[in-house]
Amino acid sequence: MPTNKFLVDTSRCIRCTGCEAACKQFNEVPQGIRRLRVVTINEGKPGETNVPMPCMHCTKPPCLSACPVTAIYKRDDGVVLVNKDKCIGCGYCLYACPFGAPQFPDTGLFGSKGKMDKCTFCIEPFNQKDEDGNLIQREAKPRCSVFCGTKALLAGDIGAITEEYKKRIAGKLPSGAVPDVA
Amino acid sequence: MNRVKNSLKTTRRSFLKGAVTLGAAAALGGYAGLTRNSPLNLFEAASAAPAGEEKLIKTICPHCSVGCGTLGRVVDGVFVGQEAWADNPLNLGGMCSKGASIRDIVVSEKRLKYPMEKSGGVWKRITWDEAINKIAGKMNEIREKYGPDSVMLLGSAKTTLHESYLQRKFAAFWGSNNVDHQARICHSTTVGGLIPTWGHGAQTDNYNDLRHSKCLFFIGSNAAEAHPVAMQHALIAKERGAKIVVADPRFTRTASKADLHLRLRPGTDIPLILAICNVIVNNKWHDTAFIEARTHGFDEFWDVCKDYTPELAEDITGVPADKIKEVARIFKENGPMAIIWSMGGTQHSVGSQNIRSYAILQLLLGYVGKSGGGCAALRGHDNVQGTTDMGCLSHYLPGYQSVSSEPAWKMWCNIWGIGYDDMVKRFASKDLMLRNGMTDSRWYEGAIRDDINQPNRIKMVIVWGHSLNSITQMKKEKKALEEVEMIVNIDPRATMTSSLPERNDGIIILPAATVMEKEGMVVTSGRSAQWRYKVIDPLFESKSDLEILKLLADKLGFGQYFTYSSVDDIYTKEICKGVRSIGMMGRTPDRIRKHMENSSTFDPENIMARGGPCDGEYYGLPWPCWDEKHPGTPLLWDDSKPVSKGGHDFRALWGDKVADNKYKLHVGESMLKAEGGKKMYSNAAGVNYALDTTGEAVQLALAAGDPPTGRGRARFWAWDLTDPVPIHREPIESPRPDLIAKYPTYADKDKTYYRVPCEFKTAQNPELVKKFPIILTTGRQVEHMGGGAQTRGSKILAEIQPDMYVEINPTLAGNIGVKEGEMVWVESNQGKVLVKAKITERVNEKTVFMPYHWAGVFEGASYEDRYPEGTGEYVYGDSCNIVTAPGYDEITAMQETKVGLCNVYKAQGG
Ligand code: SF4
Ligand code: SF4
Repeated sequence: MPTNKFLVDTSRCIRCTGCEAACKQFNEVPQGIRRLRVVTINEGKPGETNVPMPCMHCTKPPCLSACPVTAIYKRDDGVVLVNKDKCIGCGYCLYACPFGAPQFPDTGLFGSKGKMDKCTFCIEPFNQKDEDGNLIQREAKPRCSVFCGTKALLAGDIGAITEEYKKRIAGKLPSGAVPDVA
Repeated sequence: MNRVKNSLKTTRRSFLKGAVTLGAAAALGGYAGLTRNSPLNLFEAASAAPAGEEKLIKTICPHCSVGCGTLGRVVDGVFVGQEAWADNPLNLGGMCSKGASIRDIVVSEKRLKYPMEKSGGVWKRITWDEAINKIAGKMNEIREKYGPDSVMLLGSAKTTLHESYLQRKFAAFWGSNNVDHQARICHSTTVGGLIPTWGHGAQTDNYNDLRHSKCLFFIGSNAAEAHPVAMQHALIAKERGAKIVVADPRFTRTASKADLHLRLRPGTDIPLILAICNVIVNNKWHDTAFIEARTHGFDEFWDVCKDYTPELAEDITGVPADKIKEVARIFKENGPMAIIWSMGGTQHSVGSQNIRSYAILQLLLGYVGKSGGGCAALRGHDNVQGTTDMGCLSHYLPGYQSVSSEPAWKMWCNIWGIGYDDMVKRFASKDLMLRNGMTDSRWYEGAIRDDINQPNRIKMVIVWGHSLNSITQMKKEKKALEEVEMIVNIDPRATMTSSLPERNDGIIILPAATVMEKEGMVVTSGRSAQWRYKVIDPLFESKSDLEILKLLADKLGFGQYFTYSSVDDIYTKEICKGVRSIGMMGRTPDRIRKHMENSSTFDPENIMARGGPCDGEYYGLPWPCWDEKHPGTPLLWDDSKPVSKGGHDFRALWGDKVADNKYKLHVGESMLKAEGGKKMYSNAAGVNYALDTTGEAVQLALAAGDPPTGRGRARFWAWDLTDPVPIHREPIESPRPDLIAKYPTYADKDKTYYRVPCEFKTAQNPELVKKFPIILTTGRQVEHMGGGAQTRGSKILAEIQPDMYVEINPTLAGNIGVKEGEMVWVESNQGKVLVKAKITERVNEKTVFMPYHWAGVFEGASYEDRYPEGTGEYVYGDSCNIVTAPGYDEITAMQETKVGLCNVYKAQGG
């Protein structure tokens, strides 16, 4: 069983927002909800850095611990999901999350009054259920990553993406100096 | 499988919910293909669904010249989403937000749905028949009253190659050279600068080749926002050790990836480049062997260049002399270096000379023609290279043939199946037929003044795929739109063309299909063609540009010349035959489709296929592609390979000797390469390869192992230009009166300048800076494209980037008492705009910046209510081109948007 993670190569990210748009179109996320947002620090100055911020699917998710109704769960492949049927919209998860990943729709928007939504590794679209009421469960393949304009946003099994990242930085460092980023 | 099925059901349902009005249950057409994994993609290929469930259709992003591929997901003829085309060698699945939102643009409920007419102050739905009758009727009426030159046709870089070619042909059959398109305001000066230097006006390399550069010099290109996926290749080069240098008045997102940023004053590229050249030559770092063997005029160049010391350049450009010296050393020590530019280089009154100076730097270092040593003109639109090649321009016929050339007209008449004399009769006179028409950048002048070089004013304008807010002098443009007798707007969206003018009658808008709803070839900046398959049939009542062209041609009585059995026909029967100057003969639709279908066999390192049916060919057969066996030419001027393997050489455009010139200098010196020099090839009858439709000249050349363009020399010294060597000339609106005196602009032009007189010297007012002390420059936001009519009509893009703004440095903001988010007026000699303040150190305290994608507000007043009901965009903003400067390139009439003067002050209640 792979352990799914995101890994951001900030030296590549240019804030082209391809990831944000890919996420929106693939998951049919309504306006106002941002499952992923690119944050820029030091904008317009030397040291300007862009960081795409989806849900990091933490190994020990603080949101999961904070949820009073156990709506949040972690799958065997590492992906953290929310059961919208259980969610009461209290927002504790948002306070607990260091990345601000949990999102709450405005009241009335598409009828989903205050149910928490966040990045699902593209497993679930915004509306979790199809027209027959079945839970939609797609493959774990984040479209932000496959669409990433510069391949800055790596996603997938932690082993595979670490290998890819190591290859990139190998060119920049003297041989033997590749740090272990896992 | 059940999972996939479920997800599709949801997608389809929610799409159709919003689409009940679309009538979108169209039959699926086009090609369905799956892709293989690429090395960089860490995931499985797009999931296969049972036939009838979901098809994946290969298509190309319509927003910029990188040409990113994507897969349209189609279920029962409905465009339900996009997947990454992971093995497209150009983007490896990557896309910026514009590309990842293509579907959102196509299914936008704000699209134009049926033909409409504004009459009596109200918008009414009309039928296609009515619309075509009215348009053709009015055109004929204008021809009767004023002559054919009183209709201006603005074509589009958003069309396919086939459509663009037919737009140009349409103008010819209508009988006027008043046809132009966005290439005029995009890279006309790249063509204007590169052709006089070495014979062709296109990017010499391709995006992927940037991976092999040891240094990337971005000057006037903010690729991270304007060509985002180009940065994939650039940053790979960086990981391999390449240096990145960015020269830009702003600390752009591209600059944030650089080793060195040179903050030059807008409009001072030439002194910066000449000073770099000065340091190179003084240190003897130039490539003398290359210069001697393959160029001409170095001494004349040095005669000018020697005076541009780093210290002089520091005063003009604001870049410290020691940084200039450092950069020269970086360029020498990290070769080959690629020089990359976009509209920051081209949109200047010295645009053509800017580009010439870039090319000269590459000649000096001997980098050009080598892998990694590109001259990368990053073009704007997805197909603007193709539409330029097709000559949808007022001074060209397809294939860069001048409208003043009778032999060129004769060749085209022959291909079109019409006698030359019959063609002449379609024009008001032969004289007008051989005369440059009006330009995209200044067409409105033709509608509002009488001192023009044609019988009557422009009385009707057909805007066919163009957001007019990308053109400067918008107040004049608005006036022109109010004065003409009829406006026709052909576009997927209503655009500001229909809403800007205050008039009650005489506007007809036709719903054109979006690029995803038709098929054809589009060409990247790197000269590679791709086939854009049709994803879905046109929605609503919209029709493809091809169909609309045919309807109009039929009604106007020349439809028989616009009858084709297929989209391919246009290409194989005409374009391949006539566009010989740049070697279009081998680039057939069949071959290009084969490349699309076998995209996984092309190596992203050099875009060459390894194994498979395209083995040895370069992706998209970058022109010149001399015949059906030729693999395409990935790098122009690369003489290290045989021509049959994609090798090339400088075009011998100036014959074998330096011609008689007004300087009486170097006359008779050889213009052919030192060893193996060859003139351009002609056939036995003496007809040049470019006009020889028998193909004999090309075969003679190939048999001899030469490019049909010969093997000539590139020119440091272009004796036929006003400035044979680039020199500094201050912008039309300059903040330095002292430098205006020393480096004045050109003399004014009379009405032979694309039919309308133009002030240069007279417009350059040294006093202007007193009233408008701040420099204004303009550019892009990554989420929007061009005039923004498409992208501001996408909910996704409108949400990610909802704002028009002006970037103001914190010091300037403090001085004028403006806080973040407050509304300010930006005012110039041309007009003013009301925009939000964005306080940032991207700009220095002397400069402000505005993006140019915005419309729907004019000098602070909204005209949203003038759009037909149910159309328009999701977000609006004031248009920066109301305030940009009235400067134009001396050679091409390119507009000067990158430097002007303005003032900024807080709005009342802002
Ligand atoms: S798509 Fe990639 S490069 Fe672009 S903003 Fe997102 S992470 Fe950054
Ligand atoms: S706009 Fe350009 S970079 Fe962005 S997806 Fe389209 S082609 Fe690629």
